Amino acid sequence: MIEIIQTPPLNSVQDLGRFGYRSYGIGCAGAMDRVALAAGNLALGNGANLAGIEFQLFPVQLRFHCDIAIALTGADCSPTLDVHSLPPWWVVNVKAGQVLTLNSPLGGMRSYLAVAGGIDVPVVLGSRSTQSRDGFGGFAGRPLRAGDQLPTAPGPALQFRDSFGLGIQPPDAVLKGGYHSWAAPDDLILRVIPASEYDQFDAASLHAFKTASWTVTVQSNRMGYRLAGTSLQRMNPTEMRSQAIVAGVIQVPPSGEPIIQLSDGNSAGGYPKIAIVIQSDLWRLAQAAPGRSLRFVEVSLDDARAARTEQAKYLADVARLCSYCRSSRAGA
Amino acid sequence: MSNGITILEQPRVSYCGDHGLLLEAEGDLALPTQERIWAVNEVVLGWPGVLDTQPGMNSLLVLIQTDQHDPVEYHDRLLRAWGDSQSGRRAGKLLEVGVVYGGEGGGDLPDVARFHGVDIAEIVQLHSAAEYTIFAPGTGPGFGYLFGLDPRLFIPRRKVPVMRKVGGTVSIAGAQAILGGPKHPNAAATAPTGWHVIGRAHDVPVPFDIARDPMSIVSLGDRVRFRIERIER
Repeated sequence: MIEIIQTPPLNSVQDLGRFGYRSYGIGCAGAMDRVALAAGNLALGNGANLAGIEFQLFPVQLRFHCDIAIALTGADCSPTLDVHSLPPWWVVNVKAGQVLTLNSPLGGMRSYLAVAGGIDVPVVLGSRSTQSRDGFGGFAGRPLRAGDQLPTAPGPALQFRDSFGLGIQPPDAVLKGGYHSWAAPDDLILRVIPASEYDQFDAASLHAFKTASWTVTVQSNRMGYRLAGTSLQRMNPTEMRSQAIVAGVIQVPPSGEPIIQLSDGNSAGGYPKIAIVIQSDLWRLAQAAPGRSLRFVEVSLDDARAARTEQAKYLADVARLCSYCRSSRAGA
Repeated sequence: MSNGITILEQPRVSYCGDHGLLLEAEGDLALPTQERIWAVNEVVLGWPGVLDTQPGMNSLLVLIQTDQHDPVEYHDRLLRAWGDSQSGRRAGKLLEVGVVYGGEGGGDLPDVARFHGVDIAEIVQLHSAAEYTIFAPGTGPGFGYLFGLDPRLFIPRRKVPVMRKVGGTVSIAGAQAILGGPKHPNAAATAPTGWHVIGRAHDVPVPFDIARDPMSIVSLGDRVRFRIERIER
């Protein structure tokens, strides 16, 4: 069991998302940075989709009430276990009674804690993810509070060849990402596929879409990111019919400043869609803090497939390399 | 009618990112067309590699399991399935809710009346005279998007979203209508919307509850009627 000693609001239990319930209008929820959660799970020998905790506000303090192997991934939150600092992207055994502290990120936005066997909350409608807006899934259907006691699944303890633990290669060191010829070194580049209303935008807007940069505003959360920058306009702003939408969709409301819907976004909407961020880049956006500058680059479905393959290989490598460094100790 | 709706002459399938497709039907919003959307949805749900689907107004989103499949494989197949689909009437249930139009709960009613240059009583009469059909799931679990709004009530969405109290909202935008469920205990009291809230259904039933079987009290094809409880000026 894991006891939450201290947490700001909006930290929650998530897996890789809820699928199969869109006929009710239920969107996917799930970890914003799915690569980080999956990597943490795989490093522990878990299935990639087991539930972990997503932290997006800090400081956080929690106490383990059992001996268990944990993985910390995502943003570097200067983690400490009791008084000892841990590196980011780290897998280690903790003892019952030890206290983990996570501080404001040095870079990035969201940090993930995976544990051997996963956070053992019930599967609700096919997923352990917290569906905050509808009040189900995750822990008691809500974000975490101080005093919560999260169940962990009983399972074999892990033994590492080095008791200090082991590191995971972070994805930004491995996955190439998009290329934008106008980008500054710190710009986030998001690869996109043009969406159904792309052709309705005027030439100046389409040019700006490919060349300009936007800034992530403070109105950015698990529902979506509001961007500030060049206004995009359609040639003939007709009224839209409401359609189902996906995480990563770049909607353009009449103000012209784009909104990117994300994990807790609406499952349908009526704003025009200029493009959709490829799945393989959503984790990059999840780590983009307010103030970050970003640019869009259009790619083909072939490019997107190559990015998925590259990401799948990265995760397979994490699983394989970490398996070399540990062995299960049955019954321990 | 300002800001009319773009109407496709031919059906179209576009890509929805790298993990989905969007089928858009030709022509105007109409029940026979939407019945075909529901029929295609049933067919597509049986295809291997389909992760999830969601009907929209005149449209269908299809999400693909991209670890083993690629959206490209489904493009022509989806268009063919649309061509092969047939409308078929569903014997939908009828839900009737009482509405207090205007006043504090329906504060956008005077604006809508002004937009059309008529008295609010005429807006209420047109809105409550129609029978609506649940065409597609909404932004979350609930009563979905309603078809059946009198074309004379067509009104564009707001340019800038406004904050409106949630719970039993009766709203219109474009050629569509919606009915909001009761406020969820965990939900914020207000929410941003580009729709025009013209009334409030104070005794609206809870549309969706995971602890119930079935979880939703309504299905696609069910009908909704709004009964005038009173008009507040």
